[in-house]
Parts: sequence; structure tokens; C-alpha cells
Amino acid sequence: MEMLQKDMEMMADTAHPEIPAEFFALAGEKIVIETTDLDFYYSAESHALKKVNIRIPYRKVTAFIGPSGCGKSTLLRCFNRMNDLIPGSFLKGKVLIEGEDIYKNGIRLEELRKKVGMVFQKSNPFPMSVWENVAFGPRVNGITNKSELEEMVESSLKQADLWKEIKDRLQASALDLSGGQQQRLCIARTLANKPDIILMDEPASALDPISTGKIEETINELKEEYTIVIVTHNMQQAGRISDYTAFMMLGEMVEFDTTKKIFTNPKEKMTEDYITGRFG
Amino acid sequence: MLQKETKPKHYQKVIRADRWARRLITFGGYGIIVSIAAILLFLAYQSLPLAKNAAIETLFTFPASRGPAKALVVGIDPYQEIFYILDESGYIQFYKVAGTEPVSQAQLPLSGNEKILCAAKGSLASDLFAAGTDSGRIITAEVRFQLDYSGEGRVVIPSLSVKEVWQIPAGGDTLPNHVEKLAFSRNEDGSRFYAWVDHQGALWVRSYDADEEVDYLHPLSQYPGESSVTALTISNHGENLVVAAADGVMRWFGLKDFEKVALRDEWSISNSPVTALSYLLGDQAVAIGTGAGAVEVWFPVRTPSNLMKFRQIHSFRSHSAAVAHIYHSARNRDFLTIDGEGAAQLHYSTTGKTEVQFPRPDFPIAAGAFAPKSDGLLFVDAQKRFTLFRLDNPHPESTVKSLFGKVWYEGYPGPEFVWQSTGGSDEFESKLSLIPLIFGTLKGTLYALLFSIPIALLAAIYVSQFAPFRLSRIVKPTVEIMAALPSVVIGFLAGLYFSTLFEEYLMSTFVLLIFLPLFFLAGVAAWRAVPESYRMKIRPGFEVLFIIPVILIALQASLSLGHPVENFLFGGNFQQWLYTTWGVTYETRNSFVVGFALGFAVIPIIFTVSEDALSNVPKSLTSASLALGASRWQTVRRVVIPAASGGIFAAIMLGLGRAVGETMIVLMATGNTPIIDLNPFNGFRAMSACIAVEIPEAPVGGTLYRVLFLTALLLFIFTFVLNTLSSLIGERLRKKYARF
Ligand SMILES: Nc1ncnc2c1ncn2[C@@H]1O[C@H](COP(=O)(O)OP(=O)(O)OP(=O)(O)O)[C@@H](O)[C@H]1O
Ligand SMILES: [Mg+2]
Repeated sequence: MEMLQKDMEMMADTAHPEIPAEFFALAGEKIVIETTDLDFYYSAESHALKKVNIRIPYRKVTAFIGPSGCGKSTLLRCFNRMNDLIPGSFLKGKVLIEGEDIYKNGIRLEELRKKVGMVFQKSNPFPMSVWENVAFGPRVNGITNKSELEEMVESSLKQADLWKEIKDRLQASALDLSGGQQQRLCIARTLANKPDIILMDEPASALDPISTGKIEETINELKEEYTIVIVTHNMQQAGRISDYTAFMMLGEMVEFDTTKKIFTNPKEKMTEDYITGRFG
Repeated sequence: MLQKETKPKHYQKVIRADRWARRLITFGGYGIIVSIAAILLFLAYQSLPLAKNAAIETLFTFPASRGPAKALVVGIDPYQEIFYILDESGYIQFYKVAGTEPVSQAQLPLSGNEKILCAAKGSLASDLFAAGTDSGRIITAEVRFQLDYSGEGRVVIPSLSVKEVWQIPAGGDTLPNHVEKLAFSRNEDGSRFYAWVDHQGALWVRSYDADEEVDYLHPLSQYPGESSVTALTISNHGENLVVAAADGVMRWFGLKDFEKVALRDEWSISNSPVTALSYLLGDQAVAIGTGAGAVEVWFPVRTPSNLMKFRQIHSFRSHSAAVAHIYHSARNRDFLTIDGEGAAQLHYSTTGKTEVQFPRPDFPIAAGAFAPKSDGLLFVDAQKRFTLFRLDNPHPESTVKSLFGKVWYEGYPGPEFVWQSTGGSDEFESKLSLIPLIFGTLKGTLYALLFSIPIALLAAIYVSQFAPFRLSRIVKPTVEIMAALPSVVIGFLAGLYFSTLFEEYLMSTFVLLIFLPLFFLAGVAAWRAVPESYRMKIRPGFEVLFIIPVILIALQASLSLGHPVENFLFGGNFQQWLYTTWGVTYETRNSFVVGFALGFAVIPIIFTVSEDALSNVPKSLTSASLALGASRWQTVRRVVIPAASGGIFAAIMLGLGRAVGETMIVLMATGNTPIIDLNPFNGFRAMSACIAVEIPEAPVGGTLYRVLFLTALLLFIFTFVLNTLSSLIGERLRKKYARF
């Protein structure tokens, strides 16, 4: 074990080529999210992200993979500033979304989070009706017109592949839905805000294979219109749905490339070991 | 091998411990239920006798037919051992209860075949009576019961002493003058008042002033011919005379001034002539019986022009024949009506209730009497047969109507809810309406909650959702310490210190109520105007520090503006203005003060419980809301508060329960005046405080004692219902919002 640890650290050191590999991979892509030397500390002692540089392409699915505790969720939460809620945490470096530094003064968090939606690992519908759940985002963002809301609710539920199943139960409590339905409801809820980017933190990890399949289908349909960043522990899933994959390790970005490249011919041995299941 | 041996032993131990723990817990649980049920039962047991109706029981009945002479007066000693009868031939015979022969007898000093025509008792405390004869004499005499303990046990020895024999003034003609009708009373000074009708139908009043030893004689000329007197009564203290005439005219004369008789009121009773009249205990109410058998109670009521006018207040179950006699109790407002056919009924004036209908005897009743302690009733019929009833009527003044409804009490301008349990004398009419107390409790609770709910909930929201951890770590235990403050300390401070402070700075307080939100909003606006780069430097949650100086400025401004505002708006004296403009007297210990003090006791409960509920709303929900672009406040309002609504509701209900049951604070911080008035500038009397104040003075087993127990029972039920409601509704809210 110790050997392996040392090995990995050594390799991590050497994984900084002058020109990032993804520079070539991303040729022709429009970049939506870009970080430069992003450091994140939960506290002065807990250094969760180390000099992360990543560029996430427009209307593609980007998957974050890596062993537990490597900082995938942390990185994801840096994109909509959900980490701000953690007392004592701080951040160095830059995060640009559509070219704008989202950590500079004068950024309105509400606007940022409306633009950068998030789906959590554990489904967290509000204890309200299905309809109210979906309409929540538009409402807090100032839409009061009932017919407009109706329309948004319907289209969001359709996009999330949930409309057919629950169109008769819109007034039922969201908590009465099945786990899979609840998670798709959370996706619909995020979609209702008409975000540009959707961050998904292991959205299917708590679900059965069929529900997982449905979520994956949904994601496949959504990537036509949205930039999606997804954290997953399921290699097959990453392979199936993502266009790009980032492999993280101990708070560092080890390798970022097209999914195909990462899965067939990774540059780093660590990546290969992880993907083939030799550790993790 | 070793394991196999030890395991069963070990398990046995665990099982045994388990069983004991379960038993102990079960015991504890049932113990609580049993003790609550026991308290409830005890309260109900103590207050239940209030609901009991009057009961009578025939103790004995026997013929004591010594001569055919008609009985005029009967009476019995306080121990109900000896009773007496005065008949028209002037004989007084004393009988032992349960005996058949008279134990002794005496005679009034009558001459020749002089006969007694009428007689009336004239004292609440003794068996003093006056008898009018057909020779125009009025004989005043007293029956005394002496107790002799010299032999074996107690022996009651009756005797008669004649006080006075007095000849009424001669009429205009030669016939010997008769005393046809007579009313008599002796007051506590010994002064005596007689009113009688002579055989010419003329009404006379004689007052004997015991201090000066002078007689005053007043012929009253209102009653010639057709309008002859049908009934008359003098009040127990001799100050009032009420006379009924055949033409239906009733007159009320004042006898207070020995030297002249004043006509105080005159009114008509249209339907049927009054055949019997009696002042009741308290000298205000007069019971009236008519020829048609109607029974009514009238008493004087102050008119808007400040005159006292008799009005009909109650009417009771009527008799089928003309009412012949009315006797009243010397203990309470019971009175007995007897009609010409022998039917008798017992009524209670205050409640307007006819309590007992006596079994009809074979012959008409000639006379009746209350036992001195009002625990028995004695009747003698036309055949001189006696019946003694035991009367069990311990709480006649409490009925559902008198406890919860409006009652027209003597001296009041109309039916009202009044709590005034004790008065200066035994003749006081106790007023036991629970409505002012219930109202007081609700009023105190209302003001306390108006004050505490906003503060406690806002504080809970701030501490749970916005405050930096370091701040909330200080605030929470501080508030919990507040809960530990003994309420007597809060009540003491509020009643003695804060109330005067509040009175002094009343205007400043009102100005502050306006200034605080204004300054606050101005402060927020100013905060908004601060460039963002500066604002960002302050950590979220610490913005509150910015508002403290704003509040201090508002406080200072209000303090200095209090007097100018009072001068400008209220002519320099708010209390005076309040009284002249609204007719409201300002009490130092008013509902504002109690609301504040009681609120102070309630805030920690509401705060702690709702803060817990708010903090327990899962982070995942707030994260979801924030991630959807909701602001912090939107998140709190739309997600956190609804999700915590069950807990918040429970918190408010707990606060409500505390406010309802709180005793010391409402006792010490209000004037405890049992008035029904929502006005915040006067006080109130809460149920709990009333119990605390009055139970030490309430005779055990008495009506007040039981009514206070009933109040306690109501409080208990009140809090019980509140708690049950709060769990039910809280449960529903939790089902709806809090299944995470
Ligand atoms: N709220 C927090 N406070 C302090 N440290 C945290 C917090 N959240 C995460 N960490 C630490 O930061 C590091 C990265 O955590 P993160 O949740 O980003 O990992 P992850 O890659 O998402 O793991 P997983 O796959 O198990 O979800 C871990 O070492 C974790 O212990
Ligand atoms: Mg994670």
C-alpha cells in the first residue's frame, strides 16, 4: 500500500507537462468554465484542491472521476460557490465562467446559481407538491405569472423524462415519489431555472439500475442544450455518457482528456490503474 | 468451550437487566398517566358538588294538635332540637323534635278573648317577632333558646320574653282598632320599625329610635278605600318599606330618617294583585307573590337620571294558586313561597332558579320558617301538623348560568359578568362569574404572545439561519438561562420596578415603537448604500453589529422626544388625555407591563423550541434552495420555515400553555382587577392568579373554594386541550412538511 502511495505521488509530480494535454483535446471547443491555479482550503490545514487547472467545454458532458475524497465534489461546488457556505473555508486562484471571474466582488450569487444549476447526490426534493418543487426556482427568481410557470413546469418535467409518469400527480407531495423519480424531479427542478450549466454530483449513486438508466438517458438528451459536469464513481457510466473525463487524485487534476482517450489510452499510469480497477 | 459456557449466563444477565429496565420505564410511564388522571379526578371531585341540586329530606312529621287555633309563627332553634309555634290565641308551645307533646308553653299577655290577627318576625339573628291583635295592640316578644350543658350533654331550654306591648292610635270611629297586617324589623342598634294596616285600611309606620328612646309615628295616606294594602314588608335593617296595594300600585318608602318617611319609588304591577311580599337578605331585592301565583324578584336599579327605580329582575316557577306567604333565608338569597293550597317552593334569587318543589301536604300550610342556619325548613299546616325538612343546598349561588352567563346582580344596572367573591358582610351577594377570569387569562396570554412571538421567532430564525456560529453559541445558552429565571423574580421586577419605569417613559416607549422600525429601515438603506467592497469585508451574520448603534440612536431620540410629544399631542399628560378622551383609567400595573413580563417568561420557550426546529431542517434542503438561486431570506421563508412549521407551531403552543398557566407574574404585575376590557392600559385578573389570591381565604368546602377548584379544573383542561391540539396539528404539519 505504502509503495503505491509513494508511486502515485511521484507520478503526480511529473504530470505537469508544459503544454496541457487537453489543450489539444479541446481544440475547437468553446470553453465555458475555466479555472486557473485553483486552491481550495476547508481550513488552513485542510487543503482540498491543489492548483487545479481545468477547462470545461460548452454543451458537452464532462465527467469527474477519482477515488473517494480526492476533491471532485469540492471542485464542483467551486463552480456555483456552494462552498461559500462552509465557515472557515477559503479559496485561491480563479474560476471563470463564460469569461467572468465568479469570485470577484459584485457577483450576485443568486444569478450565478441560477445560471449554474446543481443536482445533488442524495435527492432532496422540498416537502411540497411536485408542482411547487419544479416552480420553486422560477418563483424565487421573480416569475409569478401562473401560465408561464405551468409551462415551465411541464417542459422541465418533460425534459427530465418525468412528465408521463406523474403528470396526474402534480399536486401530490414530492416526498411520495420513488427515489428515482425524486432524483429526476430534482433534475427537472434545476432545469426549470433554465441554467446554462448543470453540475451533477453522483446523481445516480443511490439508485437502482433502471432508475440509473433513465437518468443517463435524460443526461444524454440534455447535453444538446446544456453544459453538464458530472461526478461519478461508475466507470461504465462515465464511459457511456461523458464526452470528456477528468481524473482527480488527492486534490489534484491528474489527467483531463476526451473520454475515449482516458478510457482507452490514458497518458498517466495512475489513470489507467484507476480505470481498470486496480485501486480506488 | 469457554464461550459456550459463558454465553448463556451473559445473555441471562442482559435479559434480566432488559426486563428490569422495561418494567421501570413502564412503571414511570404509567405513573405519570395515573398521577395526571388523579389530579384531574381530584379537581373534578372537589368541584363537582357545585353542580348538585338542592335536596330535601323529610326529617319528621307529626300532629301536635293542641287546640284548633290557627298557627301564625313557627320557628326552630339552631340545633334543630326545639321548635315553637305561636297561635292566634297567643299561646306559644315548644316541642321537642321527634317528641309528641309540648315540652313547655308560654302565653303572650292578651286580655280576655283578645286574638292575634297577624304576626311577623323581625330579626335575622334571633326569634324576635311582633304580633298585632284585634284590640289594636302590637306585642313585641322574643323566643330565646338557652343552652344548658350542666346535665348530660346539651339541653336546649326555650323561653319567651315579652319586650313591649303597645297600643296603636285609635281610629276615627268607636270600633276597637284592629291590626290587620303587620311588618316588623329590628336593626342591629336595637331600633325597631313597625308598619301596619288598621281596620280602616290606613297604613301606619312607627319607628322607635333606640339611641334616643323616642317613638315616631307616621300615618301614610296613600291607601284609601279601593286601593287597600294587600301586602307589606320591611327590610332586615329597617331602612326600607315596600307596600303593595289592591290597585296594583307598589310603593317603596325610605325609613332611614326616623322623623319622616320618604316615598322613594312608585310603580304598578298590572296583571294581578300582590298577595305576599318579602325583602330578601341584603335588603335590596324584594320577592313578590301574586294572586295568580306568579313569583318574581324586584330590586331598585339606578336610572340614567341617577334615580333608583324598582325593576323586575327574575321570575320563577309560578304557583297554581295565590301566593300566601314568602319567607327568606338569613344565610343566603333563598326564599320560600307558599300558596293557599299548600304548595311550597324554594327559589334562589341571584340565579333566578326555582330549586325545590315540596311535596304537597293534605292541608294548606299556615306558616313556615327557615332553620337559623338555613339547613332546614319547618312547616305547620292548618291542622297544626308539623313537617321538618332537612335542606341540603350548599352551593345555591353556582349554576352554569351564574358561572358562565351574565347575571343581574343587586345594585347593578344590568346583567353582567362579574367576579367579586367576597364582600364586606355576610349579606354580600357573591358574584362568581368565571368569564372575567377566563378573559383575564386570555388577555394576558394575548399581550404576552403579541410581544414574545415576534421577538422569539425572529431571534430563532436569526440564530439558526444567519448568526455566525460564535454568536449563536453565546446566545442560545443565554436565552436558556432566561428560562431558568424564577417567575416570581420577573413578576417582582415588573410589578415594582418596570411598571413605574414604563409609566414614567410611556411616551418615549411609544415613540420608540415608531422610531425603531423607521431607524431600522433607514439603517438597512444606509447599509445598502455602503459600497459593496466594504460590505463584503464584513462576514455574513455580523451585519447585526452595524444595527446596534442605530438602535441606540433610536432609543436616545425617543427618550428625548417623549416629553415634547406628550406636550404636543396629549396636552402634557397622556393619562389625563386617556381618561378624558376615552374614559380609560391608566393603571400602573397594566396589560403592557404584564405582556412584557409574561412575554419575557415565554420568549425562552418559544425561542428554544423553534430554534431547534429550524436548526433541524436538513442542510440538504437549504442547499437545494440556495443552489436554485434563492437568496438566504427566500430560503428561510420558503423552505426552512415551512419545513420547521410543526416545531414552530409546537413552540408557540408551549408558550401559550406557559402563559396561560403562569401565576406569579400575572399576580404581581397586574392590579388583579377582574374586569372585562381589552384595553392595554388597565389590568386584569387571570384564573391562576385568582386561585392563588383567593384560595387561602376560601372556607374549605364552601362555594368559593369549590369554584376555585373548578377554575383550576378549567385551567387544567385548557392546557390539556392546548397540548393535545398542538400535538395533533404539529403532527399533521410534520407529516406534511417534515418527512425528509
Ligand atoms: N465540509 C467539509 N469540511 C471539511 N473538510 C471537507 C468538507 N467536505 C469535504 N472535505 C474534505 O475535503 C476532501 C475532498 O472532499 P470531497 O467531498 O470533495 O471528495 P469527493 O471526491 O467528492 O469524494 P467522494 O467520491 O467520496 O464523494 C476530503 O478529504 C474531505 O474530507
Ligand atoms: Mg463527493
